[in-house]
Amino acid sequence: MRNSVNRPPTPDAAEDPGKEPTLQEIINIKLIESGEKERLMELLRERLIECGWKDEMKALCRAFIKKKGRSNVTVDDLVHVITPKGRASIPDSIKAELLQRIRAFLVQAAV
Amino acid sequence: MSSKVNRHHYHHRFNAQSFPPPCPHLAEFRARNGSMPFRSLEDCLRAKPPCGRAAIRREPSEVPRCGACGESARPRLYACVACAAISCHAPPELSHAAAHATSMPPGHEIAVDVDRAELFCCACRDQIYDRDFDAAVVLSQSTTLKSATIQSAKPENLCKRRRVDYLPWSPDMRDRVLMESGSSPLVYGSDMPRGLRGLNNLGNTCFMNSVLQALLHTPPLRNYFLSDRHNRYYCKQKNGVTNSNAGGKRNVGTGDGNGNKNARLCLACDMDAMFSAIFSGDRTPYSPAKFLYSWWQHASNLASYQQQDAHEFFISMLDGIHEKVDKDRRKPHNQGHGDCCITHRVFSGILRSDVMCMACGFTSTTYDPCVDISLDLEPHQGGPAKSASMKTHPSCNGEADSLNSGQNCGISTLMGCLDRFTRPERLGADQKFFCQQCQVRQESLKQMSIRKLPLVSCFHIKRFEHSSIRKMSRKVDRYLQFPFSLDMTPYLSSSILRSRFGNRIFPFDGDEPDASNEMSSEFELFAVVTHRGKLDAGHYVTYLRLSNQWYKCDDAWVTQVNENIVRAAQGYMIFYVQKMFYYKASENQVAL
Repeated sequence: MRNSVNRPPTPDAAEDPGKEPTLQEIINIKLIESGEKERLMELLRERLIECGWKDEMKALCRAFIKKKGRSNVTVDDLVHVITPKGRASIPDSIKAELLQRIRAFLVQAAV
Repeated sequence: MSSKVNRHHYHHRFNAQSFPPPCPHLAEFRARNGSMPFRSLEDCLRAKPPCGRAAIRREPSEVPRCGACGESARPRLYACVACAAISCHAPPELSHAAAHATSMPPGHEIAVDVDRAELFCCACRDQIYDRDFDAAVVLSQSTTLKSATIQSAKPENLCKRRRVDYLPWSPDMRDRVLMESGSSPLVYGSDMPRGLRGLNNLGNTCFMNSVLQALLHTPPLRNYFLSDRHNRYYCKQKNGVTNSNAGGKRNVGTGDGNGNKNARLCLACDMDAMFSAIFSGDRTPYSPAKFLYSWWQHASNLASYQQQDAHEFFISMLDGIHEKVDKDRRKPHNQGHGDCCITHRVFSGILRSDVMCMACGFTSTTYDPCVDISLDLEPHQGGPAKSASMKTHPSCNGEADSLNSGQNCGISTLMGCLDRFTRPERLGADQKFFCQQCQVRQESLKQMSIRKLPLVSCFHIKRFEHSSIRKMSRKVDRYLQFPFSLDMTPYLSSSILRSRFGNRIFPFDGDEPDASNEMSSEFELFAVVTHRGKLDAGHYVTYLRLSNQWYKCDDAWVTQVNENIVRAAQGYMIFYVQKMFYYKASENQVAL
């Protein structure tokens, strides 16, 4: 990528005095900085494939695309359609495992 | 990564689909900047082990944030390819990516997902695909990963499997000069099309002549032999023919007179010689004596001057060509894919047979290759009076109309036969099938369907009934109506399965036929082998359709006939070719 003169100025959102970083943001930053977020993402991916959730979602997407026609579907439509079903169908064991991992991370990161 | 079924299905999908066309913004971007921006993104990509997922490279501690709202926890963040500004995209509430595209001067519509390394068009609000970008992603992954296997080798797959678009070609001046210098033009009379030549009857060989006439005008087969794909001279050289008699086989004096003493047998070479003779422009009838002699050697149990069954000859001949051509490679019985020889490439399809247990619904599926489809005629309806009346009025147009109104008056049609062929059939109480799930023999339902259509479909109508119970054979003279154009879609496995579940859109794994576009289900009739007479004393005649004209080939006599004659004929073997291979009549005859 060239150094384009059209590049807008780098935003300083974090240093904006009017905006305090929320707890959610702080946790997110900590997760990313330590690399834990990537590890958690990998773990989640693995678990969701194992339990067949990914295949289910794929089938839902295929059915939706077939119904609407291949050229009438955008990524946004797909995400919009399968997000509620996807969230609802995640097995509890996976939720529990990830929450456990995040909790453990926070405990050792707060120190 | 993904399960085996997914990868198989993904593979199939890419086979069937072509690369999606670029959106107008991507096309504009590429027109303005070429392919360099995407290729240079390779440096910005980083494939993270262990699985090598590509993402935009960043410092480990760097947190990407949306330029507009400062949010970093959005599921999707896009980096503009032109100016590297990061925007979030969270429909339906806000999309700063789309805002970025509209607020900046044109050229900023294309962005990259920072976590997934996928292209996004902010103006169209949809994912887009670009070959060069994918190439960059693959390269970045392959340099990072130590192992040689590339996970998502999209461009490579596409390069291998992408079909090249058909480009019409006509020779320019230089080509013409080259062609004329290496060959001498054939002289053709303008009254009859090329390749029409009578075949002499060598003694009850009308069964052979009729099938040969059909095969000589089977488009893929004709193209294969006429384009010298099996050269009989090279074939002889390769198999080391000597002039001395090998193994004591002598020329048994069938009168062919060419004094050939080679004991090597190659039906394909004989076919090649026949093609050359038939298409040479000579209109005098040809004697396929050499071919007959070779076939006798191949199928010695049928070697006699008695009348044989044309269908039996057809199968035996295909098998003979397959054996001789395939001898070197020794491929196992994998004829479904037709890679072994030209006859299987042209004629072989795959039939699917489902046996469903009536008790538990467990279905057992098997696939079998086939070179033709044998169809039963309906059991007796309407009696001999009806069929006799059909025969005595062959060329009346009124009859033709009533024939088209089909089932109601009890006329058998080819499509009716195919419907019966693919109908679920209840296997009787004496044919109970062992169900894997129930672990006991249960009553079952069997259903046939066509998994893969061949290039040329041969429908064999079972007119010769050999009843072992009554210890007699008889011929079924019942008239069968056949269409000139045939759509095989309702008999494909995908259609049959779909209807079994009642019009659901649920996908069936691994069941998409290889040729899933509409074009390859449409067939055109090009040859009909008909039989007239009794079981033991009858005569075969072939009707050929060339340039939308019908020609009757009765041994040595070839005449042009009206299509109604063909419609009224008693079809025994009906040949259809996929529509894309069927050349319609063209206005200008190319003369060299």
